[in-house]
Amino acid sequence: MGNGIVKTQGMTRAEVETGLARAGLDVPEHERLEIAAAVHFIEEMAERVRGKRAMSAEPAHIFPPPGV
Amino acid sequence: MIPDFLTIAEASTLIAKRELSPVELVESRLARIERLNGKLNSFIRVLREPALAAARAAEAEITAGNCRGPLHGIPIGLKDIYETRGVPTTGHSKILIDHVPQQDATSVRRLTDAGAIVLGKLATHEFAFGGPSFDLPWPPARNPWDTSRFTGGSSSGTGAAVAAGLVLGGTGSDTGGSIRGPAALCGLAGLKPSYGRISRTGILPLAFSLDHAGPMAWTAEDCAIMLQAMAGHDPADPASADCPVSDYRAALSGDVRGLRIGLIRHFYESDNPADEATRQGIAAAVKVFEDLGCSVRELRLSPLAEWAACGVLIMLTEGYAVHQATLRERFGDYGEAFRDRMALAALISGGDYVQAVRRRRELVAEFMTAMADLDLAVTAAAPSEAPAIDAVGKFAIFERPMLTMPFNVTGTPAMSVCCGYGATGLPLALQLAGKPFDEATVLRAAHAYETATPWRSVRPRLDG
Repeated sequence: MGNGIVKTQGMTRAEVETGLARAGLDVPEHERLEIAAAVHFIEEMAERVRGKRAMSAEPAHIFPPPGV
Repeated sequence: MIPDFLTIAEASTLIAKRELSPVELVESRLARIERLNGKLNSFIRVLREPALAAARAAEAEITAGNCRGPLHGIPIGLKDIYETRGVPTTGHSKILIDHVPQQDATSVRRLTDAGAIVLGKLATHEFAFGGPSFDLPWPPARNPWDTSRFTGGSSSGTGAAVAAGLVLGGTGSDTGGSIRGPAALCGLAGLKPSYGRISRTGILPLAFSLDHAGPMAWTAEDCAIMLQAMAGHDPADPASADCPVSDYRAALSGDVRGLRIGLIRHFYESDNPADEATRQGIAAAVKVFEDLGCSVRELRLSPLAEWAACGVLIMLTEGYAVHQATLRERFGDYGEAFRDRMALAALISGGDYVQAVRRRRELVAEFMTAMADLDLAVTAAAPSEAPAIDAVGKFAIFERPMLTMPFNVTGTPAMSVCCGYGATGLPLALQLAGKPFDEATVLRAAHAYETATPWRSVRPRLDG
């Protein structure tokens, strides 16, 4: 998936549950299990976009000054 | 006797010649809705009396010599994320079940100003994202070609209603493929124009930087007619493009000689492998384009998974931001598919969202460079014919990289075009993609292809 990317360890079930709790989401138990099983999709996509790029690499939408 | 299926262009010609009455046309569609919607679930709300009143007004105007154009008297449907004055616009969700807008979406107003007659509000995946869902206030739409099959989404009701001849055209929205997907699986023409070509004002948002509004109809010509009415600058939409609107219907010359086409084969042969019928359909379509005088060469881009990762992360995080507060307060009132996808979105960091947006700039540059000596790109719109509706899981959108997402990332026009039918009779589709604000070339190529092939003469067989 490319060089120099930032890899993070896969989220544990506990981390998923903490993340959902921090977001204030009242997720039923069976759905929390399914979400924890699916979180790898997000992690894989995140690893893809954390490509090696220059510090100055701009995002696609930067703030255009008012009046421009 | 009014045919079960008419294109907008056909109906418009008959209306202009006074051989077809808008009132009779609308009555025939309403009767068809009455007979078929029970098994298609395409409409969640039918506006019978307002539609008949509008049809009578259209008839009076046309009789008096004041025809507004090819959409005058034409029955259409609106995906139920298009705000419609005085009519509940629910996003197919319990969350907005009582939401009644005070004004029309800009694009709705433009369609009705052009004389189109709104027959009702169409089913959608919840907030254009969560579906197919069986736990919402209304059931999911069914594919008219085989009602056990998925319509595609999220413009599911539009796909079903147009394919079943309940309306002659309909509106959709496309954030990752939600026009092109149902167009592909329902055998229609579905156009996602350039980002900013059609106003987003009054359309319930999913992802601000990826949402596109657009038409779905039987033919490229009908999409051109609808686009003509919908397109144009809207100061109320900060992303609206202030650039000239082409004459899309005039661009349908039928002449595509000299068009340079790039075939993005790896998208559907290795990155998200399409089935054999789809591959053969695209191969045959390439031959048609060559016979029509186009040149076709291979076009290689970054792997589809790169485009999908970029687009999906942006879609999830922007969608989560839209619903963040309500998800905290009413998580259980959303359908399971929508809420659990949003729960995944809640786990994406702000840093990763910005990385996705930085990746977007890189991918857009790559596409523009790749298209420098090309006019169009061709690839698959869907990997196969429509699957069974109950085989589409809530995380299915993550399992394989979406063939449609690259052109949401780029914001460039892309269209799903039927390229034949599989062994079971279900539609297959290819995707045509163009350069920024060159919808005219995309439509011209689609129209030429449709004219050169027999697919537009096939319709689903529906009882009733």
